[in-house]
Amino acid sequence: MSTQNVRKSKFAKVSGLPWVLPAFVFVVGLIYYSIFYTFNLSTLDWNGLDPVQTKVGFSNFTKLFGDWVFWKAIKNTIVFFVVTFVIQNVLGYIFAAILHTEVKLATLHKCIVFIPVILAPATMAPVFRLLFSPQGLLQDIFNWLHIGITVDWLSKPGSALFILMIITIWNFTGMSFILYYAAMSQIDKEMLEAAHLDGAGNFRTLLSIVFPNCMGTTISLAMLGVIGALKTFDIPYLVTTGGPNHATEFLGTYIYRQGIRQAHLGYAAAISVILLVLAIGGAILMNRLNRVEGK
Amino acid sequence: MKKSMVKRIMAIALVVVLCIGVTACGGSKPVEDTSTETSGEVVWWGWTPGSPTNEEYIAEFNKEYPDIKVTWKQTSIDDYDATIRPALANNEGVDAFEVSAGSGNGGIQVFAGQALDLTDAVKEALGDGYKDKLNEASLTTMTVDGKLKALGVGTVYSGNIWINQDLFDKYNVKVPTTYQEWKDACKTFKENGIDGFVQGAGQGAFNIDTFHAIADNVSPGTFTKAATGEGEWTDPAIVKALELWKGLFDDGIMQDGALGLQQYPDANNLFMSQKAAMVMMGSWYTSNTLPNTMKAAIEAASSTAEPFTMLPVDFPDIAGTGNVGSFFGDLDYSTAISATSANVKAATTFAVWLGTSQKGQQMIADSLNVVPSLLSATPDWDVVELVNPEKQNEAIKEYVENASSSPNNPRFASINADLNQSMMDVLAGVAGGTITPEDGSAQLAQTQADSE
Repeated sequence: MSTQNVRKSKFAKVSGLPWVLPAFVFVVGLIYYSIFYTFNLSTLDWNGLDPVQTKVGFSNFTKLFGDWVFWKAIKNTIVFFVVTFVIQNVLGYIFAAILHTEVKLATLHKCIVFIPVILAPATMAPVFRLLFSPQGLLQDIFNWLHIGITVDWLSKPGSALFILMIITIWNFTGMSFILYYAAMSQIDKEMLEAAHLDGAGNFRTLLSIVFPNCMGTTISLAMLGVIGALKTFDIPYLVTTGGPNHATEFLGTYIYRQGIRQAHLGYAAAISVILLVLAIGGAILMNRLNRVEGK
Repeated sequence: MKKSMVKRIMAIALVVVLCIGVTACGGSKPVEDTSTETSGEVVWWGWTPGSPTNEEYIAEFNKEYPDIKVTWKQTSIDDYDATIRPALANNEGVDAFEVSAGSGNGGIQVFAGQALDLTDAVKEALGDGYKDKLNEASLTTMTVDGKLKALGVGTVYSGNIWINQDLFDKYNVKVPTTYQEWKDACKTFKENGIDGFVQGAGQGAFNIDTFHAIADNVSPGTFTKAATGEGEWTDPAIVKALELWKGLFDDGIMQDGALGLQQYPDANNLFMSQKAAMVMMGSWYTSNTLPNTMKAAIEAASSTAEPFTMLPVDFPDIAGTGNVGSFFGDLDYSTAISATSANVKAATTFAVWLGTSQKGQQMIADSLNVVPSLLSATPDWDVVELVNPEKQNEAIKEYVENASSSPNNPRFASINADLNQSMMDVLAGVAGGTITPEDGSAQLAQTQADSE
């Protein structure tokens, strides 16, 4: 055995723990500690600063289940996820398919579709708030065309959520597009040619050959979508502040409202715990789907 | 014991020690005051009135106390609670911080636990008779459990509306004093492509102001009695006020889409860019009658318009009761000293100077941003120059005097955070038609009962 091999062998026997130790310490020390700390907070009635912390057991959780705003936030999250996921991915898939054909100025088109992803919601929120208001550009266009529609959609509980969905779809379709575009690039061209030889048209090929081959991407996007919907905060907070009358409340905005605005830190922590459970549940579900797909 | 086992135990022990170290980073320790009454470094947190005004206050303070370095750290009004809370909890970086009355941002009820008692400091500055020298509200609203937790800088009042007199003159519109006149005025402006009355009803705190003004018009004092628990939210006067509130939306007084806009920046920008003729703002808006302040506000609204003549007028008598001219007010902001500051003495010097000294309070008075806490400090009208002195001087002078001499009628001081949220929900719900005025008043009563 050469000297080099002896060194390699000793090196290989050293435990891997030291290598992962720094990351491990930070993960356990910060993330998991924070989770347990949040769970502990959820059993308190505390404003976050007062020296007196009152133990209330699980009453924050029982109160939660009778809180209509909490259920409204859950309902909004589900509707928001389903609508944005479907439309975003259908659009992303179509754009990706189109840009895999011989389109002129393809790079420019890719940039145009992707640019909204990199724009900060904080920058765009005031623009959208004015755009979808009777004092905005959209109203001016309607007035110019003599269309008798008042653009007061953000002020109506029935339409405000849909406006937020439109903004989100505009914001994140580029992400779906780029992932589908990458997935489509991986599909074996011979498979597509075989489908054409068998008489499949473009639509049939997209539906029966390309889409099944992009299933892994769809499931990944679904997982990101579930977690993203549960974490939704910036767009509703900046555009509607969760209103009018909680019509666009999400778990994130409600946690902020309860924890910061109303100084009910324990109650906000209880909502955070539920949010965590839902996020883990959603991720497990999507993972299962992914495994089934893999098999 | 095998070597590998020893290694594993050592590694686990190391992880535990490091984890404890990481998680213990936020631990507290007693802090020693390193400052004196005349020297030190003070970090002053707040949200109002904002740069460069705060720096101007500091520059004036430094003429008297050159060895106390004060650094102004500003956050937005909406982010203040979220930012200051961890800063105070970590015992670092906060020496003096702004607080407000009741359920506003930086509410004293929440932050009093982190603030020192300033009773002795104010006694030393103004003598035992300090209560006679300061605005009553500046003391009562900042006293928690018998301790003066912050020194008031100035009070703001609400209850009136502001009008763009130039637009009223241009379109020959009568300043509204009744419901019908208000409707007619808004209709005329709308026909000329301008919003009559504008309110960012998506930002609930300002809705409470408008509702309070309506309630005081219906039955003076009923709102405050209900908020303090001496009366009932189910009082017919409150129900009537909610009906009138809804009427503002249904009868075209509120601009279209009001519930989708914020008071700041949206409604403010519409008024400042002369796209709206009336707005519900309080005494803090007075500073916009100063040419430079108004120019800055107009520019911030992305407008190139010239400064215009804005005037405060009474909230119209929409209930037809004749009860007009109501003002309700609280301390806009006060200065508290962090209990864990390492510069307590220097920070106290600054807070006392700003809240009780003639020089500090005169600056506050002349800025027209708030009504100063020190009763002897009033705006020096020979120095203060307004956009349109001929039309504004007397009106603004009278307005400031009326506001500061108005009877005790708290704005947010008697509204706790839960009631505040409930009121915002009810007002948005009633305006949008999803809650009836009767159900709304019952909801307010329920919240009041729960929070008690």
